[in-house]
Amino acid sequence: MDILQESKYAVYENKALWLRNKVLEMAVSVNSGHVSTAFSQAELLIALYHGKILNYDSKNIKWDQRDRFILSKGQGGIGIYPVLADNGFFPLKNLENFTGPGSVLGVHAEWHVPGIEVLTGSLGHGLPMATGMAQAAKNDNKKHLIFCLLGDAELYEGSNWEAATFAGHMEYDNLICIIDRNGQGVLGHTDLIESPSDGPRLNPLDDKFRSFGFDVRTINGNRFEEIFGSLSDVRQRKGKKPLLIIANTKKGKGSKLLEDQRLWHYRVPQGKELEQVKKDLNS
Amino acid sequence: MSDPKFVIGMRDAFFNALYEIAKQDKNVIIITADNGAPTLDQFSQNLPNQFFTVGIAEQQMIGMACGMAVEGKKVYTYAIAPFVTTRVHEFNKLCLGAMNLPIVNLGVGAGYAYDIMGPTHHTVEDITIMRSIPNMKVHSPADSSTAASLAQISYNDPSPQYIRFDRTGIPDLYSDKNVDFKSGLIKVKDGEDLCIIATGIMVHQALAVASELHKEGIEAGVIDLHRIKPIAKDILMKCIQGYPQIVTMEEHLLAGGMGSAIAEIFIDESITTPILRIGQDDKFVFDLGGRQAIWEAHGLDVAGILKQIKEKLILPIAR
Repeated sequence: MDILQESKYAVYENKALWLRNKVLEMAVSVNSGHVSTAFSQAELLIALYHGKILNYDSKNIKWDQRDRFILSKGQGGIGIYPVLADNGFFPLKNLENFTGPGSVLGVHAEWHVPGIEVLTGSLGHGLPMATGMAQAAKNDNKKHLIFCLLGDAELYEGSNWEAATFAGHMEYDNLICIIDRNGQGVLGHTDLIESPSDGPRLNPLDDKFRSFGFDVRTINGNRFEEIFGSLSDVRQRKGKKPLLIIANTKKGKGSKLLEDQRLWHYRVPQGKELEQVKKDLNS
Repeated sequence: MSDPKFVIGMRDAFFNALYEIAKQDKNVIIITADNGAPTLDQFSQNLPNQFFTVGIAEQQMIGMACGMAVEGKKVYTYAIAPFVTTRVHEFNKLCLGAMNLPIVNLGVGAGYAYDIMGPTHHTVEDITIMRSIPNMKVHSPADSSTAASLAQISYNDPSPQYIRFDRTGIPDLYSDKNVDFKSGLIKVKDGEDLCIIATGIMVHQALAVASELHKEGIEAGVIDLHRIKPIAKDILMKCIQGYPQIVTMEEHLLAGGMGSAIAEIFIDESITTPILRIGQDDKFVFDLGGRQAIWEAHGLDVAGILKQIKEKLILPIAR
């Protein structure tokens, strides 16, 4: 990456760093929340919202022409709330009451949160819902897009493949799926088979989705240049296929302590671990 | 309609009525999981943007319905009853119930309607699980007139709903009567010695049982409880006031079914009138030979029900 490119994305890099620190602060404050998954998806969400890949109006949340965004990996709630708040959907101060009394910011994202469209948290719901939104847009002759961010381990849920079969068949060219391909579930890896806790294999994921009728692009999902590059033409795509982005990421990205390590799916760092994560992030 | 005995099935009566609504409102959507019906063809042929088949993929059906309902559509999903209830319970819980969306699940083949098809197709726990979902309304029509009325009723109601239809061949109850279906229950027959509250096909069994009791000088009232959730409690209380004993009848597991719902009301309202709940015990049914054979084997035929009533209730003597 040359210096110009680097500066072009510096504002987003800084936002991603802010987001990770904010997520950590929120999680530590209540000793809850999925830190490593929020780190994994950070650049994707910053690009979508701060980078204005999504069309939205945070002052008119139900704007008819807004793109619909479904966080199918609902456990990533802690990672989208700061993004929504920073873009004006609700006050940043609300983040201080994450999971607290009177708050709508729960561990799993749901539609009482301004900017969240549906209830997720049980995996395998987002993509079927997205097909319904895609069809509704077709019926109403609306031009907005439906984005659905899924976890890769979420793809073990069979409902995704029911939805993928249908989406490919119906040629939903208004549907953009992004897989946060961090290669990890709760217990182990999806494709790096080292122990009985790993697997089953998901690969070849690209060929699987191609065979279901999707256009497939594979990127580094923690690099802004690749994220923006892969989504720059989403409103001018030719053909009649839904688009799937396999965004290769690292679970716990940004902290050596967390990155690609088992154990951290729902564990919040404390004490020395916390100091280490903070040091990792900000060094 | 040349055969005077022909009665259109509940499902088809419903779809015909719904078609008239859907013609006027393009936001009415039907999604089927590879289940057809002669009366469904008019949707696919004439309203192609309002009819979708997702294949045998019920999770996709409910999830898609959710996505469309969020966008302002009134969505009806359709499959054999077990596949829009037990098969997709979690989708129903979250997409219909928790999100409180205007989706109506249509299940055909309530109870043992798919008699010889075995436990995979029997649907005798759907009342229990569907009424356990907050916001969900549960309809259980006993005839095609009731089923047809539910098209407009369900369309007008933005709540998530489940309608359990029987198959074809169920006798008519109300086509020649001026009945108001809105309250969710209908007093079908008067009688002061006991009151039978029945739902679905068991309303017909209840009338047959009442007829047999009449021969013995015992007069049973019969109530068709065609909306199981919510139950119109005040109206029901008025209907059963003064009865010395109550019988509930359902072609459904006793655990959590309609009789349980009535018993819950009795407990909550401190009503001490004895209740006899008639339904299926805690078991799966593998018996073949048809619905009547299943009823006979499990005490749900008229003779079996009479036997239970006589053994377990204090009936009037010397009438």
